[in-house]
Amino acid sequence: MSRLVEFAGVGFTYAQPERTREGGFTLADVSFAIEAGEVFGVIGPNSAGKTTLLRLLTRVVAPERGEVRLEGRPLSRLAHAELARRVAVVPQDAPRPFPFSVEQLVLMGRYPHGPGRFFESPEDRALARAAMAATGVLELAALPLEQLSGGERQRAMLARALAQAPTLLVLDEPTSHLDLRYQAETAALIQHVNAERGVTVLLVSHDLNLAAEVCDRLLLLSRGRVARVGAPAEVLRREALEAVFGCEVSVDVNPASGRPVVQVAWPRVRAGR
Amino acid sequence: MSAGRRLAVALAVLGATLAAVAAVSLFVGSAALSPGAVARALSGRAGAESVESIVTLQIRLPRVAAAALAGGALAVAGVAFQGLTRNPLAEPAVLGVSSGAAFGVVVAQIFGLGPSVLAALGVAGFAFAGALLAAAAVYLIAVVPGGLSIQTLLLAGVIVGIFFTSAITVLISIVDFNRLGGVVHWLLGNLAPIPAGSLALFAALALLGFWLVLRHARELNLLALGEEAAVQLGVDAERLKRRVFVAAALLTGTVVAFTGPIGFVGLVVPHLLRGLLGQDNRLLVPAALVGGGIFLLAADTLARNLISPAELSVGVITSFCGAPVFVYLLRTRYRVSL
Amino acid sequence: MTRARPLLLALAVALVAAPVDAVIVRDMLGHEVTLPRPPARIVSLVPAATEIIFALGAEDRLVGRTDYCEYPAAARAKASVGGMVNPSLETLVTLKPDLVIATDEGNREETFQQLARLRIPTYLVHATRLDALLDMIGRLGELTGRTTAVGPLTQDLTRRVDAVRRAVAPYPRPRVLYVIWPEPLIVPGRASLLTELIEVAGGDSVTGQQEQAYVRFSVEAAVALGPQVIVLADHASASGGVSGAGRPEPEKWRRFTSVPAIRAGRLYSVDLSILHRYGPTVVDGLESLARLIHPEAFR
Repeated sequence: MSRLVEFAGVGFTYAQPERTREGGFTLADVSFAIEAGEVFGVIGPNSAGKTTLLRLLTRVVAPERGEVRLEGRPLSRLAHAELARRVAVVPQDAPRPFPFSVEQLVLMGRYPHGPGRFFESPEDRALARAAMAATGVLELAALPLEQLSGGERQRAMLARALAQAPTLLVLDEPTSHLDLRYQAETAALIQHVNAERGVTVLLVSHDLNLAAEVCDRLLLLSRGRVARVGAPAEVLRREALEAVFGCEVSVDVNPASGRPVVQVAWPRVRAGR
Repeated sequence: MSAGRRLAVALAVLGATLAAVAAVSLFVGSAALSPGAVARALSGRAGAESVESIVTLQIRLPRVAAAALAGGALAVAGVAFQGLTRNPLAEPAVLGVSSGAAFGVVVAQIFGLGPSVLAALGVAGFAFAGALLAAAAVYLIAVVPGGLSIQTLLLAGVIVGIFFTSAITVLISIVDFNRLGGVVHWLLGNLAPIPAGSLALFAALALLGFWLVLRHARELNLLALGEEAAVQLGVDAERLKRRVFVAAALLTGTVVAFTGPIGFVGLVVPHLLRGLLGQDNRLLVPAALVGGGIFLLAADTLARNLISPAELSVGVITSFCGAPVFVYLLRTRYRVSL
Repeated sequence: MTRARPLLLALAVALVAAPVDAVIVRDMLGHEVTLPRPPARIVSLVPAATEIIFALGAEDRLVGRTDYCEYPAAARAKASVGGMVNPSLETLVTLKPDLVIATDEGNREETFQQLARLRIPTYLVHATRLDALLDMIGRLGELTGRTTAVGPLTQDLTRRVDAVRRAVAPYPRPRVLYVIWPEPLIVPGRASLLTELIEVAGGDSVTGQQEQAYVRFSVEAAVALGPQVIVLADHASASGGVSGAGRPEPEKWRRFTSVPAIRAGRLYSVDLSILHRYGPTVVDGLESLARLIHPEAFR
């Protein structure tokens, strides 16, 4: 298995420390690798730096120390369009306002493959339709995105990312606003895309159990540093989680899949109920 | 139908409409020429010094060309600003460039051109100088360490626009009373026949601005995803914002330089076209070039003939027509519910 | 012989090409105006010039005027090209003028440029003093070939002006405030003909030291100058009495009981629109104005 993505000693600070209460946020000495073909999850508390990690990976910001490498090459050496041909991001929320149709949205994903073209080629359109079919939104193609339900929107955004034909698919909190049904659907889609298309998946989520079920390996991030890396069973240990998240948890095993299941120990304040 | 086909159909229909409106405009005017006389003048069969030739070829024809160009340029600038700021209210006047150019011209008219480099270029030179000043001010205010901030851009544009409008008001209050009428008349927007040389320059600049916007039309679409998402798709967002801003400022400054500030075209025409063609900027930008021409040409034809032989300023017509159309759009298509 | 041929040819061409009746004149702003022949179709964009042309009896050469050229009444029979600021070029061209008379006080620079491009000779006038007005009469007389009518007209005007001067000479000059427009307050300054007329009529315009022709003045400052006579121009007749625009509202001035003019009851509101037209009838206005300022001189 080759290393698709490598973070080597990456450090980064946001330029405006006044923005956070603690007076500044820093990623420090972050090193890990994502293997080609795996489903890799990044978990941790909200301010741990998950989004910053994504931004570094997609070159929205650049590291101050260390290096991020894609397929062995430093990101700084890649043109933006080249990077976009390899890495596709499904953001947490659909953009608003967004006056285009589903098909127009998905076609936007073809831009990195032909930035000089004014109109999309027939091949672009065919690939877009295939992507829509893969995520089950083909019948909705002509509808404005804003008319879709939350789950449908998510699938349309995923179709756009698939249309980009990436080697690495990045999902930023894919289930955060979804109903249970769509959460299950999304989990299935992720695995399907990984298995059928061989796309490496990077999943950022605060839903520990989703990550446990779907991911091959996990990265636990805490206050800008790597706390643990490894298989879900190794990373999702009670002591580690309590140290990082700062609350009582219990970890069991899901009998159906053999994966860890994390439960918050809900405080009981009212006696006798 | 693919986007390319739809564009071709739209351009064909709009082009035919423009030709029709231009024809009407050439045949109608306060000189009361018969259609036959106008036709003779157009085909060159009337004498060069005849009334119909002079009126048709030296007065009406240049004016029709100026109206079509100005309308197209303003509409394209409107599409560009709306795509750039993702705000349907954005139009050339909002970004302060219009007022800056108008300020330049008012200065020229009031203080006389005097011996200077700008005087050599005439009033148009002053307009460009004013437009450049305003655009630079807006840009400098809106630029932050990361790049060009769009929200600040809108606010900066409004503020710079207000500043220059106030400056114009100050100048008007001290101007010689006799020149006041002329200055005020110009400020309402004023399409007069422009000599062939200037018209060629006007066309060249307008088409340059149009081309600059057109080549980024696809990327402007992508900006709707949000700047970060667009960057992740490979769009150089900073370069895109800079270029579109400059192009729209160029288009606006050019129009103000040659015809005075004309409002509402950049606001109304893009919205009308969106109703017909949808949101794709690749269709809207070329359609706006022709559609804006139709709109302003129709307005100017009315302005020329409603109170004949006196003339209304074209800005009066665009405001009167533009405002209700915009209200209608707000109530139907842009209905915002709580 | 062959040598002389081209020379003779050139001479012949030159003779034929040069219009025999060509006139080259200088207008009142010093520009040279070339008229291929004496003008027979004149369009006047200046109400004062229209008035003068009628006064000289040259109206048969006048083919066009502006909406504001309403005096004398016969002028309304002539075709109008629109406003002074926004005349219709098309209508103007249809009238086939060989001369357009315009002024830099009221017409637009752009209009002159357009006329130049259409190769229509434009003669600019500028009269903000009585002597300039008389000069304008003389020039228009020459342009229209009515030089014989100039003398009697100018002499009559001069005589009447002198008569007014003599009549008011023995009396002390009161301070006069002339209100051209009440809100915002607009008064005549040094460059305005009105200031000279007030002076001839035996008054001293309190705002005569201001540089420009028309000055936006503050009411406070006007009141502080303590005028002894206040004349409010009534424009109601000009605007057709619509909406009371230009109505002088004397009650507003009567509040200032400290002002000498109010105390002495010398607040007049008069239709003196002829004073604002700057044509020969301005002398009629002058006489009326003198009667207001010095009633004692004309008993």
